[in-house]
Amino acid sequence: MRIKARTLEALYALLLLLPFLFSLGVFFLYAFLRAVYFSFTDYNLFSPPRWVGLANYWALFQEPSFLLALKHTLLYSLVVTSLQTFFALILAIALNRPLRGITFFRTVYYLPSVISTAAASLLLLWLFQRTGLVNQALSLLFSHLPHLAGFALLFLGLQGALVLWERRRGRRTPFLDPGLAAVSLLGAFLGTSAFQAWGLLQAREVRVDIPWLPTRASFLGLPYPLWAIVLMNTYTTIPTFMVLFLAGLKGIPRTLYEAAALDGATPWIMFSRITVPLLRPVLFLVITLGLIGTLQLFDQVLFVGGSGGAPLESTITLAYYVYGNVFPSGATPRVGLASAAALVLAGLTLVIVLLQRRFGVGERGWS
Amino acid sequence: MLRVWLILLALAGLASAQVQVRISGWGGTDIAIVNGLLKEVVQPKLDREGIRVVYQPIEGDYTQWLFNALSAGTAPDLFYVDIFWSESLFASGRVEPLDGYFSKQELAEFLPNLIQAFTYKGKVYGIPKDFNTLALQFNKDLFDEAGVRYPNQQDTWETFEAKLQQVQSKLKDVAGLCVVADFARFGAFAFATGWKPFDAKGHTVLDENFRRAFEWYTGLPRRGAARFAQDLGEGWTGGCFGGEKAATAIEGAWIAGFLRDKAPNMRYSTTFLPLDPVTKRRGNFIYTVSWSMNAASRNKPAAAKVLKALTSPEAQQWVLERGLAIPSRRALANNPYFQRPGKEPELNRVVFQGSGPQGGNVYPFKFLAYGGDWMRPINDALLAVMTGQKGVDQALRDAQAALDRLTGRR
Repeated sequence: MRIKARTLEALYALLLLLPFLFSLGVFFLYAFLRAVYFSFTDYNLFSPPRWVGLANYWALFQEPSFLLALKHTLLYSLVVTSLQTFFALILAIALNRPLRGITFFRTVYYLPSVISTAAASLLLLWLFQRTGLVNQALSLLFSHLPHLAGFALLFLGLQGALVLWERRRGRRTPFLDPGLAAVSLLGAFLGTSAFQAWGLLQAREVRVDIPWLPTRASFLGLPYPLWAIVLMNTYTTIPTFMVLFLAGLKGIPRTLYEAAALDGATPWIMFSRITVPLLRPVLFLVITLGLIGTLQLFDQVLFVGGSGGAPLESTITLAYYVYGNVFPSGATPRVGLASAAALVLAGLTLVIVLLQRRFGVGERGWS
Repeated sequence: MLRVWLILLALAGLASAQVQVRISGWGGTDIAIVNGLLKEVVQPKLDREGIRVVYQPIEGDYTQWLFNALSAGTAPDLFYVDIFWSESLFASGRVEPLDGYFSKQELAEFLPNLIQAFTYKGKVYGIPKDFNTLALQFNKDLFDEAGVRYPNQQDTWETFEAKLQQVQSKLKDVAGLCVVADFARFGAFAFATGWKPFDAKGHTVLDENFRRAFEWYTGLPRRGAARFAQDLGEGWTGGCFGGEKAATAIEGAWIAGFLRDKAPNMRYSTTFLPLDPVTKRRGNFIYTVSWSMNAASRNKPAAAKVLKALTSPEAQQWVLERGLAIPSRRALANNPYFQRPGKEPELNRVVFQGSGPQGGNVYPFKFLAYGGDWMRPINDALLAVMTGQKGVDQALRDAQAALDRLTGRR
């Protein structure tokens, strides 16, 4: 019997797909179906699961810590996805210029994404301790406010005078002319140093003592520890997305910009009418990946909550809530409740990504 | 040829007659201890009985691993159970009660507090392998430098605090004590007042006694006697002590190994925790770990023999003499090791005695089956007050409300 070439090809394809299909079936499909089943039971790892209907889902929405986790997750996802997309795009555009040694800068800017979350979290703990670098930098900044104010005033005064003088001489000089600004900066620096030497400007005694991590204080609805995680996560994820944007930017034909330049388009017009629309598929990818990644925030929460001593109420997210209920410290596992929470998280992720696709940036165009 | 076959058959027969008992505990330093114990004490004893012990230490999250293994039916025959999560595990029915394997007399040879800690609904579910309590360690050099008298076992909270204040004011860059927002340390002071974690109905009431201890403990940094551990970049009082950032620490015997590495030349001494000035008693925790048996084990009689060997007087003597852990047998109280001169035998002696009458009001470090959920509201309250985010009234009100929700008081 002879097998047709097409059938043979299909068989080979299937053979090569088999390992992946197997792991998908066992570790995703089977696990997912089990989780769906457990979410309707009171399973605790030990006694046989007992059907409780929708009781777990009902209990979830009655529980303050779940609602808090939901709020944190949504806000965090919104903030981080916006920040990382925006900064990754800006960085990619900056690094897409034909500059000398640009490869070096691209490598340097990519480095943060190589850091493991554990190492990044440790850095975060050091930075945001009460006696850490952030508080020390803030103390330094606030205690030297008079110097900064003096410096700014001197700069503005000098620059204003220089620009006026140039204009008097009939030159159309913009206010922030780089050459004049360099002179003004130097003058302002020397002036401030002189005032400091004469005792006219003095540093004040300011000690910033903000407990960034062991606190429940919040800003714009997100607790401080989560803001710290926002900063750290944005910092470590920007590079990856920057690389995606860079690849996208490479695909935009240069001729379009040249044509636009001939028509007298400003850089902003080129950016908003050429760059952004042609980057849509990449933007869609970046936003979708960003949303999925941020909705599943877990490891930093574990580190900051554990070693950082941040209270649970300030850091809890949905993924952490699920983990904390499957393996509660010293208590009986609540697998049923955790499964329900995991399904809510999965559903939420799906809904948000679909909404983004429908009302936000789509693959093919602005929806 | 026939002879070779016969020898091989005999060897195969011997191998099959040997019963294998799998045991597990956490990794880290315990691996060296258990391996040494098995090799030098336990296995030689069991060889005669044809029992082979297979030891599988677990690195990473041991609790998670054990709960999974018990649920999946792959757990070993014997395993460690930490007192903190013991009740939720015993309630699952996956742990074998040991009353059938140990006579009353045999059980009475262990410290009664420890046996009580592993008793659930009238049955004993674990034989304590070792234990720890809290003690007060102080750096003699720092006290000498400040010209302050050493803490001693007559100290009350007030006299102890006065000493800490003097040290802190004399040595500007050293804290008297570094305090942590953790019930695992603060609780000992709450117990000293006579406060109990649960009333007869299983509810937690943060009464006036609790408040008294809470106000004293959280007020230490404000009154210049202590600093908040995280402000010193540390997570536990031992870390501050080892780095000479604090003159005293409140830890158990586990601090000895840490200090051996971190500050081998430190001249430190150990005494009991200070007394509540009102009740004239102290409080303490018992932190303990048991060897427990898998209810689904196929070799229960052999496992029981291994369990007995692991907690035998010889095994405990071996562990004690190496300064590795505090044994759980009563008879070892008068062991010459405790009378040896030196900072570590002294530390171990005070920790050992902390579980008895000298410890005062002593409770095992477990909170029914609530575990960490129960401690969280209290820890949050400690943190909020110590970092100045809430007043005592507000913090205690919030903690009480959270505990009421948890224990179903209202």
